[in-house]
Amino acid sequence: MKITTHDTEIILDKDRAIYLPAHRLLVLSDLHLGKSAHFRRGGLPVPSCIAQADLLRLTNLLELYTPETLLITGDMFHHGLNSDIEEFAQWKQQYSAVKFVLVKGNHDLLKDADYKKLGIEVHEPSYCLGPFCFIHDAPKYDGAELYPISGHIHPGVTLTGAARQRMKFPCFYFGAKYAVLPAFSVFTGLANLPMSKNDRVFAITPGKVMEV
Amino acid sequence: MELEQTKGYKKINAWLKSGKRQPFVFQKEAWRYYLEGYSGIVNAPTGFGKTFSLFLAILIEAFNEEESAVKKKKTKQGTRLIWITPLRSLAKDIGRAMAETFEALNMDWKVGVRNGDTTQAEKAKQKRTMPEVLLITPESLHLMLAQKETPEIFKNLKCIVADEWHELLGSKRGVLVELALSRIKGIVKENRDEDLRIWGISATIGNLEEALEVLQPLTNVKKTIVKADLQKKTIITSVLPDTIETLPWAGHMGLKLAYKLLPIIEKSKTTLLFTNTRGQSELWYQHLLNLEPDLAGLIAIHHGSIDFELRNWIEDAIHKGSLKVVICTSSLDLGVDFKPVDTVVQVGSPKGVARFLQRAGRSGHSPHDTSQIYFLPTHALELVEAAAIKEAAAANNIETREPFILCYDVLVQYLVTLAIGDGFDDHKIYREVSATHAFKEMLPEEWGWCLQFITTGGSTLGAYDEFQKVSKDEDGLWKVTNRQVAMRHRLHIGVIVSDAMMKVKFLSGGYIGMMEEYFISRLNPGDCFTLAGRILEFVQVKDMTAIVKKTKKKSAVTPSWNGGRLPLSANLGAVLRKKYNETLNKTHNDIELDAVYPLFLLQQKISHVPTDTELLIELIKNKNEYHLFAYPFEGRLVHEVLAALVAYRLGKLLPITFSIAMNDYGFELMSETEIPMDDSIAYDVFSPENLEQDIAQSINATEMARRKFRDIACIAGLVFQGFPGKFVANRHLQASAGLFFNVFADYDKHNLLLRQAYDEVFHYQLEEPRLVAALQRIQQSRIVITNPRSFTPLSFPIKVDSMRETMSSEALEQRIERMKAEATRFSD
Repeated sequence: MKITTHDTEIILDKDRAIYLPAHRLLVLSDLHLGKSAHFRRGGLPVPSCIAQADLLRLTNLLELYTPETLLITGDMFHHGLNSDIEEFAQWKQQYSAVKFVLVKGNHDLLKDADYKKLGIEVHEPSYCLGPFCFIHDAPKYDGAELYPISGHIHPGVTLTGAARQRMKFPCFYFGAKYAVLPAFSVFTGLANLPMSKNDRVFAITPGKVMEV
Repeated sequence: MELEQTKGYKKINAWLKSGKRQPFVFQKEAWRYYLEGYSGIVNAPTGFGKTFSLFLAILIEAFNEEESAVKKKKTKQGTRLIWITPLRSLAKDIGRAMAETFEALNMDWKVGVRNGDTTQAEKAKQKRTMPEVLLITPESLHLMLAQKETPEIFKNLKCIVADEWHELLGSKRGVLVELALSRIKGIVKENRDEDLRIWGISATIGNLEEALEVLQPLTNVKKTIVKADLQKKTIITSVLPDTIETLPWAGHMGLKLAYKLLPIIEKSKTTLLFTNTRGQSELWYQHLLNLEPDLAGLIAIHHGSIDFELRNWIEDAIHKGSLKVVICTSSLDLGVDFKPVDTVVQVGSPKGVARFLQRAGRSGHSPHDTSQIYFLPTHALELVEAAAIKEAAAANNIETREPFILCYDVLVQYLVTLAIGDGFDDHKIYREVSATHAFKEMLPEEWGWCLQFITTGGSTLGAYDEFQKVSKDEDGLWKVTNRQVAMRHRLHIGVIVSDAMMKVKFLSGGYIGMMEEYFISRLNPGDCFTLAGRILEFVQVKDMTAIVKKTKKKSAVTPSWNGGRLPLSANLGAVLRKKYNETLNKTHNDIELDAVYPLFLLQQKISHVPTDTELLIELIKNKNEYHLFAYPFEGRLVHEVLAALVAYRLGKLLPITFSIAMNDYGFELMSETEIPMDDSIAYDVFSPENLEQDIAQSINATEMARRKFRDIACIAGLVFQGFPGKFVANRHLQASAGLFFNVFADYDKHNLLLRQAYDEVFHYQLEEPRLVAALQRIQQSRIVITNPRSFTPLSFPIKVDSMRETMSSEALEQRIERMKAEATRFSD
């Protein structure tokens, strides 16, 4: 689905990412690499194919849009280094042409040397481009001129029908003050956002992106 | 040697005599069987000395042994009796009675209490010298198994008693007991090649034999049921309206007749007034105070959301007799005896005979007192229920308690429990576990899966590398080596999973109680709600606590708590159908049925009154809506599935979308198009054929399973419950049960816990066995179809019931589109 905001065309992809053709920029948030392995180490059985599934979706996106830059607005890594991240490092070698940029989030606690070794350019607290300021947690943006695009909260939207029917989906949120991207990793929960009337919300259903 | 000639019996009998008491016949019978090495169940009404029937048996045995067993001991002799109780409060009372007995008999024995309230110091002391009698909850028993060197404790153990076994039986706590027993029996057998005696104490239930099989599944041991031939006298009185018009046709609050209770409360010492939900109890509290302001200070409210301290205070006040009336919910169903309580009131249908009698038994507790209970109907048709309850109670037609089976979540927890203790040998534990009632149907590959789940993470297909939990040590025992994992597990032993709760506290200090987090999350500052009979203004949430202040405002939201809506039991449903026959024929002696007679005349005039060999279907057209009502009297859960099933089957005849509503008596399908229905269609849509496939098609089983999975994930240790007000450590390891459900459904389909969630939905939520029985009964019945021109007395309560569900066969994307059109967004 395509939308235009701040005179910029943005493609909302059902694989939980946005693409800005003018900047050849693919943006996603909350990748939480290494989360499932971290859980396994803690004694919680989470299959490792989850991490592989996330990477497979990312592969598809990179092939589809062939971006110059992949920007992650925070929480790229869940905790520390582990087998999931080794796998990621190997996978990444095929995409040496793509610039990986990370705006640090609260989970990104790796050492600077580790980011360097992985070939990731780190920005803190934000990365600005055109009319947008990409930042992990939108309320932390203290400027006024730019429109913050963020992640962090793993937004979800609950659709209710008559008669107790309820379904919850991850969503893109474009409010008056800022935008929030869905969490990219499937191994994440959903938090409902407080919304007001003129906010635009796009639910990601199993098949497509639709405005609600 | 005959019991009466033994040294121990003489000693006990002399002691009883000195207090002008003598043993009941069933007590002597229990003592005799115990001494002969039997396991068994004692079944007797409350207040007749059930505790003594087993406790004294152990003492008699000890006195029959060497004098050394009861006198000063040089060596540690360890625990001889483990007494499992479901409630902490019960342990306190029983412990006191036992300690008094030791004193009176001049014995050097100690009784120890072990539960969540036991201090570390006390536990350490117990570890040095185990008390001869240990009172313990099922959860704490598992905690003991999680300690190192447990076998030492059971060196001298003679018997384990499960008190209130009927309460534990119908829950996963019963499975906890089964597993703990299997291990302790195993230890005793290993150490001294002896079969440990296991006894239970149970109130009357419909399946006592099965209860015994669950408690002691071994076939090569002697077992028996000891029944007390004593009847508790219970007087049941209905509170009747002066005219039937006073009672509404629908509703479930019952406030209309409240004024009739005032003289009853007045003439009683203390009255317990039972309501079915916490919300209802709050309303009743306000209403009685408004009716009779003099009750201020003499009235209290007691339910599960009220602060622990406050509840303790109320219970003490009941003991002292300083309260005139206490509004309560199932929170007071069980527990210690309150001597001053001489009257009980049940507001609205108690849904089952056992529950009604249990509540009645809270009054007149001593052996030869009479229990006095009043039934207050909340709508006209409940008068029939009153008559049905009386008949079922008189006939002792008590429900069964169905034991849980194949709870892999509990098994997984248990295995980790053993692994953080001394470790376990999987062959040995497999033999023990598969001998229990709960797991006797378990297949070897299912056992293999459970073992895999805690050692390698799960099926090899899913690839769980780096997984760390339980591993084999050099002695070949499975153990937990990670101390963090062990610590976290210890905190989560147990199977009671509660909703996320938040403490409610005054701005000026002082706790009032607990509220479900989701309710609080919908409040805005300034909103008012009632809790513990007070109107409170919500200020803010701080540190996981809801801060409130007192307010003068009169209007407030009464919170609707989750749960509390139990379905009508099958036993009561059957008697109820019979009472419908009798009402019109006047072949009865029930004043309740006389009172409701005018309503039945009306029902008969505009439609039909179904007999117990008929199924009534009413087709009503109202404006542009078509309604179908059917009345199987099988309880709301069965009706919920039945409605969806009939809707689905009708939908196969022609495309049609229904709204669904139900109560305990019947269900409604509503549509904008005419509903096809005649005799042959009716027998088809109520057919038990192809049931499983049709149910799977007609309900959203995935959604229901997802909800069930929440508890399973907690019990199996996937999700940690935070403690109210406490900071949840390990944020990095938090994920919701729903997320695990999705992950397993997508990436590990063979996960046994997933299957368990579906099994629980079909068995416990959809009550499949009962559904099949109902459909078979309907096939044998005459189906009566009427076309009333307006809503009838029978259909009205359903119509009013707000629980509505839409049933349709639209595809997912279409459904979302339509929901979108209707969408009201909200956050929760």
